[in-house]
Amino acid sequence: MNPIISARGLTKRFGRTVAVDHIDLNIPPGRIVGLIGPNGAGKTTALKAILGLTNFDGELSVLGKNPARDRAALMEDVCFIADVAVLPRWIRVWQLIDLTEQIHPRFSREKCIEYLADTKVTLDHKVKQLSKGMVAQLHLALVMAIDVSLLVLDEPTLGLDIIYRKQFYTNLLNDYFDEERTILITTHQVEEIEHILTDLIFIQDGKIVLESTMDEVQERYTELMVSKDQAEQARKLNPLYERQLFGKHIFLYDGVTKEQLSSLGELHTPSVADLFVAKMKGSLKNEAENRGDEA
Amino acid sequence: MKRLSILLRREFWENKGAFRTTPLVIGGLYVVFLLMSIFTTAHIDSDLYTFREAVRVMADQPAELRGMVMYQGILGSSVFFTVVMGFVIFFYLLGSLYDDRKDRSILFWKSLPASDTLTLASKLISAMVVIPTFFLLILIITHIIMAIIGSLMILGVDGNPWTLFLGVVNPFKAWAMIAASWYAHSIWALPIYGWLMLVSAFAPRVPLLFATLPPLIFAVLQTWIDFLRTFTLKSNIVGVVGEWIFNTPAILTAEVHDGVGEIALGVPLTDDFDHAVTLVNMLDRLFSAQMLIGLVIAAVFLAAALWLRHRATES
Repeated sequence: MNPIISARGLTKRFGRTVAVDHIDLNIPPGRIVGLIGPNGAGKTTALKAILGLTNFDGELSVLGKNPARDRAALMEDVCFIADVAVLPRWIRVWQLIDLTEQIHPRFSREKCIEYLADTKVTLDHKVKQLSKGMVAQLHLALVMAIDVSLLVLDEPTLGLDIIYRKQFYTNLLNDYFDEERTILITTHQVEEIEHILTDLIFIQDGKIVLESTMDEVQERYTELMVSKDQAEQARKLNPLYERQLFGKHIFLYDGVTKEQLSSLGELHTPSVADLFVAKMKGSLKNEAENRGDEA
Repeated sequence: MKRLSILLRREFWENKGAFRTTPLVIGGLYVVFLLMSIFTTAHIDSDLYTFREAVRVMADQPAELRGMVMYQGILGSSVFFTVVMGFVIFFYLLGSLYDDRKDRSILFWKSLPASDTLTLASKLISAMVVIPTFFLLILIITHIIMAIIGSLMILGVDGNPWTLFLGVVNPFKAWAMIAASWYAHSIWALPIYGWLMLVSAFAPRVPLLFATLPPLIFAVLQTWIDFLRTFTLKSNIVGVVGEWIFNTPAILTAEVHDGVGEIALGVPLTDDFDHAVTLVNMLDRLFSAQMLIGLVIAAVFLAAALWLRHRATES
């Protein structure tokens, strides 16, 4: 199948800083991809390039179109929620629906009103009268009522309370996602999305440090918890990362088989958050070593 | 077409106060002042004797004179609308590409499949056509309400409003003059509109200052350097812009007549200035080399505004 997003050497510079550094990407349809990275890693810049909100170097094709040139045409098949509460504050809900209906060829008014029926948002509300959570619900209702192939969410639940956050992802998963659609999410609240992701991309300093399906992640990475006296033995198997918790040593391994490890202690599938920390710290360590070599 | 029309409605929704309420308030003031003067008259002179006298004196005047007074009254009453409309358009354009950058809702607008060109066009059309049309319709409604009130008053003192003032003037001709002046001005003012949109697209904050300060500073430097070099005070950029606004096809509808300058906003002062003459003047201006230069400048400003709009989400 043709990929939804394919990038070859995607690069974005701001003066001397390289925000996105020769990224190669291939995202097939029907996936929920988490784009995870520390602050300033280039996530938002990469998303902006994908959405046609910024110019870039390198090759990038989204649904077969060049986003920098064809943003308007591309937006017929792509939706995005860039941040919470960016809906214009002066607009009324019915105006927003009229507007989207006239501009978006694939918008269903019925669906949108159906989604809104489950919330406290009424058609006569002005956006500025709504709470942050209600604005997020409204935006999600609008977006879910549009039949597109790619949905991009950049920190969609930032600043919302836990009830809204949970509901947001539940609605997304139950009412929206299907085989043909692809969802690309960035967020700092990794724990909230890890159970819905099918694919994982880690990005650091503008480079991709991990790109894999969740199944592969579970196969490849293993977390081992051992007591102190077995720590030395565990260290010999070249773990990616080590940390201590309640006197136990926890090691994270990349590509070490479960048979090799199971004799030493308890095995877990690492959480995305732990894997993320391990990867980030790991590459910091490598960098430090590289610097050491140069010196 | 569907997209453009909903984008135009969107501009109206956001700026209802400026587009509709403002002219409604002016029209309302006209009507209120008329009613107040009627009540004042009735209060001082309960038999309406003076009013009766005035109607009688008026009826004695030749119909042409009454027609001219009415005609000028219609045109003259548009002056206040014109001035306020100028301010409304000025501030509307200054905010047109700035407000959604400031409140970050630009990210929402850019998530819709409407091109930047179409967005820009919808804002320019709002300034050139939609705002003048709202002002015009409400001006006409104001005229009609005032004519009804006046007619009732005249009927009240047994006069005949039709022969006295309604039938002696062709209001459509006056309204067409106002409309032609306003729409012609929209074209004439394009370089200024273009500048305002450009400023609106790039100003990091307070677009008003960015729109006015650079030309002012430039003008002062221009004059100063001219003075140092030649000890003369030649016209500077502000002078050029001022002259440009003054030269609008609307103002020049009444030009020099018998060697005497008779200039008022869109008002031909004597019968010799038929609207045919002023329309020719208007077309002369719109098809002049000056207008062509203005359009080129406007195109440059608008292209720059479009480029900035395209990059507005960069950082």
